[in-house]
Order: sequence, then structure tokens, then C-alpha cells
Amino acid sequence: MSDFSWLYDWPQYIPDLLPGLGVAISLTLFSCLGGYILGFFLALGVESPSRVVHYAALVIVELGRGVPILVLLFLVYQGLPQLGLMLDPHPAALAALMFSAAGYSSEMIRAGLNSVPAGQAEAANSLSMSAADTYRFIVIPQAARISIPPLVNLTIIIFQATSLATVITVPEIMQHAGVIGAATFEYMSVYTAAAVLYLCITIPGAVLSGYLEKSMRQKKRSKRKAVRSLLTGSPSLPVAAT
Amino acid sequence: MGEIIAYIAMGTGWTVVMTFGSAAIGIVLGLPMLALAQSRFSAARGIYHAIVHVVRGIPTIVWLFIAFFGVGQLGITLSPVTASLLVLSIIATAYMAEIYRGGIQAVPAGQWEAAGALNLDQFSTLRFIIGPQLFRAVSPSVATQVIGLLKDSALVSTIGVADLVFRAGIMTQYHAHGLYMFGTAGLIYLALSLPIAAFSRNIHARITRRYALA
Amino acid sequence: MSGPFVSARSLSKQFGDHRAVDNVTLEVSKGEVISIIGPSGAGKSSLIRCLNLLEVPDAGSLRIGDTSIDFDNGRPSKAQVAGLRRFTGMVFQSFNLFPHFTALKNVALPQMRVHRRSRAEAEERAMEELGRVGLTSKADSYPAQCSGGQQQRIAIARALAMDPELMLFDEPTSGLDPEIGAEILQVMRKLAADEMTMLVVTHEMEFARQVSNQIAVMVDGAVIEQSSPEKIMSDPDQERTSKFLSAVLGR
Repeated sequence: MSDFSWLYDWPQYIPDLLPGLGVAISLTLFSCLGGYILGFFLALGVESPSRVVHYAALVIVELGRGVPILVLLFLVYQGLPQLGLMLDPHPAALAALMFSAAGYSSEMIRAGLNSVPAGQAEAANSLSMSAADTYRFIVIPQAARISIPPLVNLTIIIFQATSLATVITVPEIMQHAGVIGAATFEYMSVYTAAAVLYLCITIPGAVLSGYLEKSMRQKKRSKRKAVRSLLTGSPSLPVAAT
Repeated sequence: MGEIIAYIAMGTGWTVVMTFGSAAIGIVLGLPMLALAQSRFSAARGIYHAIVHVVRGIPTIVWLFIAFFGVGQLGITLSPVTASLLVLSIIATAYMAEIYRGGIQAVPAGQWEAAGALNLDQFSTLRFIIGPQLFRAVSPSVATQVIGLLKDSALVSTIGVADLVFRAGIMTQYHAHGLYMFGTAGLIYLALSLPIAAFSRNIHARITRRYALA
Repeated sequence: MSGPFVSARSLSKQFGDHRAVDNVTLEVSKGEVISIIGPSGAGKSSLIRCLNLLEVPDAGSLRIGDTSIDFDNGRPSKAQVAGLRRFTGMVFQSFNLFPHFTALKNVALPQMRVHRRSRAEAEERAMEELGRVGLTSKADSYPAQCSGGQQQRIAIARALAMDPELMLFDEPTSGLDPEIGAEILQVMRKLAADEMTMLVVTHEMEFARQVSNQIAVMVDGAVIEQSSPEKIMSDPDQERTSKFLSAVLGR
């Protein structure tokens, strides 16, 4: 068996893994969609003036960020039955990934919200805009510019994390690869094919997120320049001649 | 109950060895990788980016299975511990190198120029001028990455290293009550991450204070 | 409606140990321009922010038009805040334009969302207000593409498009070069001439003297005297007023 045939025969396993890729992508999309919405509300919760809400949100965020996703998966799949809640593998994986995505994203969303100057909300207030309108039209669009690049990055990380769902038998890429490997003993070829499939998504994803980050940074720089050009005069007391 | 918790907690040993072993290797090997990244030759920089993208673009569990099952098939049998440490170290190296690369851009170009103008040789420039400033710039990110490695280390259970998750899984098989078993493991992960975060804040505050005084 | 248009009674606002606004009573009649002057840190901005409820006073009462709020009975309701702000427009020192909207949209969107005007209606009104501040040519520019003076004029247009009966200005020129500040003051003079009721926190003594009907002098959170510009400038009652004036006017 000790040969190098895997170097050229791995592509033949790609078609067998494609259904797994579909599962991985749908898991990613749904857990990120749900997770980021949850993360937004957790971010608001952490910023809440109510201490109870603040700490409750903070605990959820820290659990989502601090506990390994693998442990979250087992907690949902093998732990929740203890409370009488039996989930099938697929929804269990979705729940664990969503919880994790919510924890990580809430910090990114919070950073975005905090980057919007207080004067923006004040201006909206002084114009009598409602709180919902202030968020929708003023705060969120500006916060998004800060939050979106890390969220794209997080989406790639969650996509990679779907590979862990194999431990609870979700039929994603690694589950298919494991089954084929056990049948053929061509582990090297099969896992190489799996690795290539992941790269097909993660490398374009990394390029996209790098591009977004760079364009963000450039925008910020040009804005800083604009501000500086406005403040050319000394900010001394402009006193009219008497 | 106490016995069960003790059994799970014993997994802390491998978890800590995997985390800090790979972190230490990554922190050291990240430096030559940085040299590659900063190379004058575009080919070297291309190689650097290819390595980093491939290492980081493939999920950790896939690397573990390649190292354990795949390499095993080629006739080189790695023990679960060796395979795990190898994989986590490679991943740590790629991440640390990227952190260093970000940090070195945070050191102002004027520092290199000033060192050059003072006729400092390359070693002294790196050791005394750039190195300390780089260290200050990267220490929070390095700590975050070590916490990331702590969580990644949970995956070594999938190829049979008897870490926290592995032991929690065994206990669940024997006694059910997965919520307690994996809850215990989860709490230990949280407990392990706290001192790393505190240590990083402490060290960062100390360095920053020293800079502020100077 | 009888009596003054704005009536603030015994307003106080505390930040920690610092009493930013201390028992201030102030009245503004319809069409009147009142300038608030005083040294930095005297609480002028805090006072004007209290009048728009960007800061909620701890004590006292406030009436603008038909809406009155008594702060001694706790925080005002949403409806009270909304009712009070409906009459007022506010212009900030830091402009606070929405950077992700063009000038036109900055002026049009609040009208659409608050007054439920149609897009066409709101944009037409926006162009009208931009014309009033002399900036129709900048309608499609983003704030970052406008100078500071232009940004402040757009901010004024944005406030005016909401049909305010009272305009609050919080040091509208102090972030700007003097010659650019003059553009803003010109716009404000025009507003005063159109009998807009205005309350202006300013360091521009010449503007305060020429345009306002009354000048209020604030020191350490309190209004120490309020009178006609001529009286304040030439014969103030309070020694602290003359001290402040001699410091800023250099005489």
C-alpha cells in the first residue's frame, strides 16, 4: 500500500463527496443566518443598561465563544436528551453551530455598533426619528461596514466547523469520506479529496474577506483624510473684531 | 459522581500538553515563516501565502484524519499523540506567522530607518528595536490564538487521544447524562482559557506601561 | 397659545458630582433669537441638549409649544419626548451628517420616516432647503466630499426640512475656520430675518450682538444674567459677565 498513487487518484472521489459539500454549505448558511440574527440581539443585550440583561447576554456570548464547538455538538446531541430533548443529528449540528456563530458574531456586531459615533444617534433623535428607524437607516448601515469583513471570515470558519458534525453522523463531507475510506482503505486519497473540496470554498472566501478588509481600511483612511482637511485652521476661539 | 468528574478532569493533562506544546512550537516556528513572508523574492512570498492559505483553509479534523488514517495507509504509523501534536503545531505555526506579519506592519517604517541611520546591524535591529515592539503589538493576538488552540485541541479526541472530550464521551457511554459529562468538560475549557486571557492582559498592560514611561 | 413659546423652569442636570446645569430658568418668545454665551465648561451645551432632551434634566420643567414636561416626576414618556422634539430642530458642533447618505438623502430621509412624506415630496422639499442654504449643487455629494462649512449648511437644511418652530444651535461654527464660520452665520442671519425662533450657543460675540434679541450669560451651570445685547455688551450687571467679555473681546 505504501505508494504514491494517492497523488493522482484522489480526484476520482470528489463526485462521491459532493452531496456532503451540499450538506456542509446548507448547514453553514442556515446556522450563520440564524446565528448572526441571534448575535445582533445578544450584542444589544450586552450593551443593555439593565444589569440582568447585560450579564445574561454576556454569559451566553462567552459560552458560545469559550466552549469548543465539538463540546457544544456533544452537549446538544448527547446532553440535551438528558432533559428529554432528543434532536436528530442534523438539527443538533445546526443548533450547536448556530449557538457558536451567535457568540462570535455578537462581539463583531457589537464592535460595529460601537464604532458609530454617538452624534449619529443624537442627530436622528433630534430629527424625531423612531428608535427602530434610527437603527435601520442610520446605525446598522454604518455598523455593517465594520462588521461585515469579520462576519465573512466567521462564515468561512463556521463552514470549516461543519466538518465536526461528522462525529454525530451528519452526512457532510467528512462523513462521506469516512464511509468511503472504511470501505476502500484509500484514506489518503479520500481525505485529500475532502481537503481539496474545503479549499475550493475557503480560499476564495479568504480572498474575498481580505479584499473587503482592505477596501474598508482604504475607506477609513480616505475618511480620516477628509476630516483632517476640514480641520486645517486652529480650533481657537473665533472672536469677531471689535 | 466525584469519581466521574475526576476521570474527566484527568483529560486536562493531554488538553494542556496539546495546547501549550503546539503553541510553543508555533510561536517559535512562526518566526522563520515570517522571514519567508518578508523575503525579497516574490517566489518565497508566494510559497508563504500558499502554505498559510492551505494550512488554514482545511479544517483541523481533516488534517488530523490525513495525518492519522491517511499517513498510516502509506505505511508510516503515527501514534494519535504524535499525529495530533504534529497537526496542531503546523496549524499554530501558520496562524502565528500571520499574526507576526500583521504585527511587523504595525512597527513604523521610521524604526527601521532610525536603526539603519544609527548603523545598527541586522541582528541588533531585530533583537533590540523591532523585536520588542513586535512583541508588544502581537501579544494580545497570540494569547487569543492560544485560546483558539485550546479549543482546537478538543479535536484530538476524534483520533483517540484521551483528552477532556474523549473522557467525557467515554463517561457518557457508560453512564449517559451527557449534559453533566460534556458540561464538566466545557467548564474546564472555560476555566483553562481564563488564566490565558488574564496573563495576556497582564503582560500587555506591563509592556504598555513600560513604553509609556520611557 | 399665550405666553412665551419656550419656557424652561428651574432646569438642573447633574453628571456625577458635576452640576452641569444649575437651576436655569429661560423663556423664548416666538420669533426671538437668544444667544447663550459664557466660558467653556459653563454648561451652555448641556443646557441646549436638555432643551432637546438629548440629556434628560434631573429636575425642573420644560414647555415648548403645547407640550410640557415636568422632570421632577421622573423620566418623560416617549410620547412627551416625541411631542417636544416635533417643534425643534437641532444643529450640532460636529455636524453629525449621516456619512452613508448623500446630502439630498440626509435631508429627505428623516422627512419620509417621521412625517411620512412621499419620496418625491421629501426630495422636492430637500432641494428647496438646500437651495435656501445655497447648496443645490451638492445634493448628490456625500458628506465626506463636502467641506466643513458645506456640511454644516446641509445639517441646517436637514433640520429646517422638518418644519421646526424652534432651532437650537450648539456652537455651530466652532469646528470651522473663521471665514467658513461666516458662511454659517450668514445662513443663520437669514433665518433670524425670517423670524425663526432660535436659541444659539456661540462664541461669536459679533453675531450675538447683531442678531440676538437677548443674550444669556452662563457661568458654572447657571444663567447669571439675561438682557438685551446692548446692555450686556456695554453695561452688564454682573462682574463675572464683564470679566468674561473682557477676556474674549480682549479689552
